[in-house]
Amino acid sequence: MSSVHSDPLHPIAPTGSKPQTDHYTSQKLAITIGFAAVIITALIGIRIGTSGATLLDVLETFWSKIAGTTPTDRATLLKHNVIWELRLPRVLLAILGGAALAVAGVLFQGLLRNPLVSPYTLGIAPAAAFGASLAIVLFGATAGSAAISLVIGALLFSFLNTALVLSLASARQLHATTLILVGIALSQLFGALTACIQYFAEDEVLAAIVRWTWGSVNNSAWYQVLALFVLLALAFPYIRFRSSALNAIAFAGDDSAKSLGVAVSQVRLQTIAIAATLTAVTIAFTGIIGFVGLVAPHIARLVVGANHRFLIAFSAIIGALLLVIADAVGRLVINPGVIPVGIIDALVGAPIFLYLILTRQKAIE
Amino acid sequence: MTLQISSLEVGYGKRQVVKGANLTVEKGELIGLLGSNGSGKSTLIKTIAGINSQTKGTITWNGGTDLTKLPRKDLAKIVAYVPQSIGLSFGLDIREAVLLGRTPYFGTRPRDEDWAHVDAAMQRMGLDELGDRAVTELSGGQGQRVLIARALAQDPEILLLDEPTSALDIRYQWQTLEVARDVTRKNNVAAVIAIHDLNQAARFTDRVVFLQDGVIIAEGRPADVYSPELIKRVYGVDVELSVHKGFVQVHPLSEHGHAQLGLQSGSSGPIREHRPVTQREYATA
Ligand SMILES: Nc1ncnc2c1ncn2[C@@H]1O[C@H](COP(=O)(O)OP(=O)(O)OP(=O)(O)O)[C@@H](O)[C@H]1O
Ligand SMILES: [Mg+2]
Repeated sequence: MSSVHSDPLHPIAPTGSKPQTDHYTSQKLAITIGFAAVIITALIGIRIGTSGATLLDVLETFWSKIAGTTPTDRATLLKHNVIWELRLPRVLLAILGGAALAVAGVLFQGLLRNPLVSPYTLGIAPAAAFGASLAIVLFGATAGSAAISLVIGALLFSFLNTALVLSLASARQLHATTLILVGIALSQLFGALTACIQYFAEDEVLAAIVRWTWGSVNNSAWYQVLALFVLLALAFPYIRFRSSALNAIAFAGDDSAKSLGVAVSQVRLQTIAIAATLTAVTIAFTGIIGFVGLVAPHIARLVVGANHRFLIAFSAIIGALLLVIADAVGRLVINPGVIPVGIIDALVGAPIFLYLILTRQKAIE
Repeated sequence: MTLQISSLEVGYGKRQVVKGANLTVEKGELIGLLGSNGSGKSTLIKTIAGINSQTKGTITWNGGTDLTKLPRKDLAKIVAYVPQSIGLSFGLDIREAVLLGRTPYFGTRPRDEDWAHVDAAMQRMGLDELGDRAVTELSGGQGQRVLIARALAQDPEILLLDEPTSALDIRYQWQTLEVARDVTRKNNVAAVIAIHDLNQAARFTDRVVFLQDGVIIAEGRPADVYSPELIKRVYGVDVELSVHKGFVQVHPLSEHGHAQLGLQSGSSGPIREHRPVTQREYATA
């Protein structure tokens, strides 16, 4: 194969074993299968719901939207509208939100060299919750116009929090421990501020705040799907391009990564900004969906290994699957009621995670 | 054709740790960096590797290139660094851990050439027999060997090793030092190794450099610079020297003036001939 191998005079040429070239067959297979699984569960997820649409109805809806035709009879039109305006954005938001949180989780865990880290470790969730609570207090607890102010409030404070964390920790060269500690401090701060609001709030407002913190895809809208899609489509190529730098930081540490030619502070700053944005935008739309950002990376590591070149994509797939399935289960259990995806996610995910920790130590260590 | 360090000063915050170091390392030469804990060995090594930046002085390579001004990625193609300690947080495969050494050479996808270097380095450090285990499942010494293999895969012209043998059993201590010397010679690498074992330094390195409090206080061939006075000055320990198979050896003395590890002192000068024990003597002992 390569000249180094066939050269018998080369002092360090290995003998015997054939060089393993860049195959990674099982990783690529896993990603292909996972991608197919996401599409299949999505189709099933779209079907599940109160109107009892069939798979054919789903496909028909797609077709009529693509072809630009409108069905003539009212029943079909209604069915198509339910699928297009309610089911589809909901399922897509679950897919994209799950993927975004999982990717953010992988990035944070790798950059901070810590398997216990989640997208919320830097305090984004409490900050978003405070922003949303503030919006609820200022603009009222009802949906509709309040929804957009909720999104903006949550986004604003997520970004404020991230900017604070990064600028405070940059006094210490963005060291992993410093970032985590600053994150803890800001989590406490925003948690206390939210508690203040809750303490003085009326019941109705309090209920709205609590409902927001459960995390759900109930208020999904097409603009949200689009925003997350664009964000992921922009972020993904960059993250992939950085995958070997991420490997060096995560597995060799800051000093060695520098000696391997990685501009550690720069990569860490850019990648954290991306991970934080993915997290902030997602939870601004969904509220705080816990667990998936912590667990999806671990499940993915068990299947494809820790190399970020494959781990990032596969984590996104696992995250998407977890939320689509959790949302589907949440709609089935107390049909026609809906249990928020954030609750199901933790209910279903916790036992799976426990099982993995106790049986497959390797990935969690 | 050398690594040349001139009036190098490095500090952390206000504190100067390396104070005006001058050092020249030839290609194909292995330099032993000696000195007590906290004397600045790691700091000096990290500065050459571009991890710390100097406040004054220059580090040049091949007479021209100023390593301190080189872009990180280009520096990483010249200098490889084996850190003093290892912290492993995720279970990466050994192979992929060694592949990290190729980071400066490929973008997202390793090429066949990169894997060839990985395989060669793994074989050289005896890692292929460990199979495709995860690095978190390795012993401290095995992990250390992975780090050395990573540096070899980096295909450096300058190799920096920060106490690479401290976690290894005697077999791998020797093997590692032999590999370091081999690589130095065969690949014509300029190598610096921080090491605490004075006897191993005498045995394997071409020259030693004594660092005290950030200042180079002695430099030269081990047999020339080792002296009870110098070692007393650096480590505060009384020693006796001997020559074993042509290599100078150091024996700490107990309070009673006897070499703790030697059989018996009783000699007049600071350096005495240390005769290897023969088979027969060993059998009758
Ligand atoms: N990151 C750091 N920040 C501040 N001071 C440091 C840092 N690293 C090392 N020092 C200080 O610099 C001095 C030299 O440390 P260095 O690690 O270079 O010593 P060393 O010779 O390698 O010691 P050892 O034999 O213990 O490895 C010590 O006094 C140490 O406390
Ligand atoms: Mg040291």
